[in-house]
Amino acid sequence: MRKRLWGRPARLIVAAAALAGLAVLVAGTATARTTAAKANCGTVTLNEQAWTGSTANTYVAKYVLEKYLGCKVKVTDIAEIPVYQAMAQGKVDAVLEDWQHVAQYKQYATKQKSVVLEGSNGLTGHIGWFIPRYLLKKYPSFKTWKGLKGHESVFASPEAPQGMFLGGDPSYEQKDTQLIQALGLKLKHVTVGAETAEVARFSQLIAQKKPVIMYWWTPEYRNAEFDLVEVKLPARMKSCQDDGTVKAPLKDFRCAYSSYPLEKVFSSKFVKSGSPAVAVLKRFKWPSNSDQNLVSSWIAGEHMDAQKAAEKYVKSHMSAVNKWLGK
Amino acid sequence: MAASSIAAAPAAVFSHRPWWRSRTTLVAAIVAVMVICHLTLSRTLTWPNSLVWHSLTHYLDNMQNWLAAEGDKTHPSIVYRVIHGISSALDALVRWLYHLLSKWLTWPATTVLGGLLSLRFGGRRAAAIMVASFAAFATLGLWDESMQTLALMLVAVALSLLVGVPLGVLAGRSDRFERMITPVLDAMQIVPAFAYLMPVVIFFSVGPAAAVITTMVYSVPPAVRITSLGIRSVPANTVEAATAIGSTGRQLLWKVQLPLARRLLLLSVNQTILFALSMVVIAGLINTEGGLGAPVTNGLNSNPALAILAGAAIVVMAIALDRVTEAIAERTDPARRHLDVAGRKRARVATVAALAAIAVTAALGHAFSAGAAYSRWTAQDWLLARVQSVLDYVQKPTTFLFNEITNPLGTFLVAHLLQPLDTFLVETPWFVTLAGLTAIAFILSGIRPAATTALMFALIGAIGEWRDAMDTFSQVLVATAIAVVLGIVLGVLAAESNRVSRVVRPINDILQTLPQLVYVIPFVYVFPISYVPGLIASVLYAFPVVVRLVERGVRDVAPPAVEAAGAFGATRLQVLVKVKIPLARDAIMLGINQGLIMVLAVVVIAGLVGSGALGYAVAAGLQRGQFGIGVVASIAILAMGIALDRVTRGNRGTAKGGQG
Repeated sequence: MRKRLWGRPARLIVAAAALAGLAVLVAGTATARTTAAKANCGTVTLNEQAWTGSTANTYVAKYVLEKYLGCKVKVTDIAEIPVYQAMAQGKVDAVLEDWQHVAQYKQYATKQKSVVLEGSNGLTGHIGWFIPRYLLKKYPSFKTWKGLKGHESVFASPEAPQGMFLGGDPSYEQKDTQLIQALGLKLKHVTVGAETAEVARFSQLIAQKKPVIMYWWTPEYRNAEFDLVEVKLPARMKSCQDDGTVKAPLKDFRCAYSSYPLEKVFSSKFVKSGSPAVAVLKRFKWPSNSDQNLVSSWIAGEHMDAQKAAEKYVKSHMSAVNKWLGK
Repeated sequence: MAASSIAAAPAAVFSHRPWWRSRTTLVAAIVAVMVICHLTLSRTLTWPNSLVWHSLTHYLDNMQNWLAAEGDKTHPSIVYRVIHGISSALDALVRWLYHLLSKWLTWPATTVLGGLLSLRFGGRRAAAIMVASFAAFATLGLWDESMQTLALMLVAVALSLLVGVPLGVLAGRSDRFERMITPVLDAMQIVPAFAYLMPVVIFFSVGPAAAVITTMVYSVPPAVRITSLGIRSVPANTVEAATAIGSTGRQLLWKVQLPLARRLLLLSVNQTILFALSMVVIAGLINTEGGLGAPVTNGLNSNPALAILAGAAIVVMAIALDRVTEAIAERTDPARRHLDVAGRKRARVATVAALAAIAVTAALGHAFSAGAAYSRWTAQDWLLARVQSVLDYVQKPTTFLFNEITNPLGTFLVAHLLQPLDTFLVETPWFVTLAGLTAIAFILSGIRPAATTALMFALIGAIGEWRDAMDTFSQVLVATAIAVVLGIVLGVLAAESNRVSRVVRPINDILQTLPQLVYVIPFVYVFPISYVPGLIASVLYAFPVVVRLVERGVRDVAPPAVEAAGAFGATRLQVLVKVKIPLARDAIMLGINQGLIMVLAVVVIAGLVGSGALGYAVAAGLQRGQFGIGVVASIAILAMGIALDRVTRGNRGTAKGGQG
């Protein structure tokens, strides 16, 4: 009975497998050929990451490349870590804002040499503890972490009556659990989830003028709108550690987060391609954090189409753009 | 303490028990013992550090790096070359289909193609639905993104069915194969996609192929499960009769089992489509052509209203594909279709006419340069403004809704239900929890599920996830309880009333395919307390499956039983409570079981909106490039899932042969 069952389907399966195999072979040779043809500027693929600042970078660069170099720019939306694999294989040409993925730098840039670090995009990234400015009126001591001591319960919430510290997006580097412990504060670290969820949570509190202390960063276009100020943390020392997942003695976490340039990362294949876009993207640099914030606020604050926001920025900031173009 | 309950338990298996030996009482007793231990013993008795395998994450990280390095060599091994071949073939297939739908046909001809194809095989209603869905993509201003996603999903759904249905047939015919494949299917559904995105990228690179594979991991299991259920639900006496008159195995399959399992096969197509469409956003994270996933991912930060519109497009696509395939299947039902010679001729003429119409439209489209994607008038701006005004209301903490309803309700739920349960599970000494859970599993389901439970929770401790797992476990329990109650109530109502059924079905479709982050973020604004938005996300995703299974179970209760009860003068309510629900017990148990798996499937999403714990760790694993951490947290979720699955499965295994 079993044998008969497999009679005709077996033949069909063999035929299907043969066909599939043929398709695989054909496709394999076809992909080998397509990579060679990148004449003049051709198509440049930029990856947009999931935050607004990155949208601003990507679309301003896209506008410049298309308008002044005649490139065709494709925008992809691959997640932060997988995009390294994409760049290594030349499927994505460049990421214009990377927040220090040191492990990936080691593997892809140093070891494999399949991506190239191209230096700062002109912005300085900085993570820290932030509070809304109105809190300082009542509690001027909150300017530094020492002033928080004994006042933790000001930040009480339903899930943390002793005082809540709003933790950051899981994809960002953080050490707040260790830092709170090392500083001897009685705050409870509460993970609110993704960036949008954190924004939702603290913007509700700020709208009600309630106290909140949280993991946050600059540059970020909303900082002006929410009027946030940073709480001063202990100075950095040599053994300072920012990544909470690393095993290190508690005292190594007892320091402020570092400030670092936001890196541009290119695919090695793109760098070697000889495209005129390479030189322009190498020179691509925001004059200051506030420039990116401006474009971001048009896109996310006013919901302007990213293309139009880029055009508006480029037209009103030709001196910066000319520098990128090497004029 | 807990040991004494174990000794008392075997008696509980017999059906006639005094009340003090009933299952409920015994479980309550065990819980009481656990609570006493929780109150009296030290809070610091957490899983001992010496019993944790600390280097596991390190090994996993190394393994991933090694795999990546192997794959990127100039001359990779044969395994990689075969996988790369499959990957390029899939890439090419999806891109070809996308080009067909955009550049080659141009948008008017694509619409005509969809409409006429549905008309020819599915009838007028199907055609209307198909054309309406294209109109919706145009109105939403997301035509091109929709075509990218459509091409991807057509390939993913077709391949899922191609793989899933034969496997389901095998599982339906062989108990051993079913036992072998079930844990694999559980793992495919429970292990969060975030944990396997990187391995998929290493093997299949980024692009459509990787997206198809990621989608298939999630959409193959329902195809296998429901097909198998369908084959098994063919009445045993029919199979025996067919064998007795000398049918061969092949005849039995093609002429008896498959035709009789037709309705469940249809449900498997429906669920495969919905499961696949629910992966659009996550698969978009590793696709160079993100389709509708891109506006969702980016929109969440910069334009939430746009993310909602893109989510709506995904739902429209899911419902259209589902209803059209359903119509096609009904039209081609051999039991109803008897075409005479003239009818066949007419059908053939219609096919030729349709092809001609498509060709003419395509030619006209090119002649008038209609373009690959529709880019004329859209209602996008108008819709964005409307959606935005709703969001603005939701985001204001001064509204009646916020101050009088959601905020107090959320605070109450957290303070009196979620937080205490969480504290209880996290702070009770680990050996008490482990013994208590094992004993409860034993009383509810017997010795084997109890052993599985003990083993799985010990594994969770050994990989160092005890604390986080208890945190997640408490939330999973609450979410499942709510989802199951809601699902059974709605499922029974839908089974009893066609009107309710008609309303509930599209709601189920929407909740199963609308990307969770799209609708959960507004909940963070109205319920600004961690746990609650995650709880809502879990319940909303899990209860539709319970509704579907319960509705089908209650509807499928054999008519003679209902008629007999009616003949004895039972009221409708009595028939429902005393006959239908007890007879649908298996389907209801399956509903609870699947509800649990669904809750576990969204643990990561819940973690992204405030539930923290394991879900948060998995997300951190992918996005911070710490593969090991993500995998270890996923193993913990899976272990929890396997334990809960074995306990809730009850006597489903013995129910084979089906309800007939």
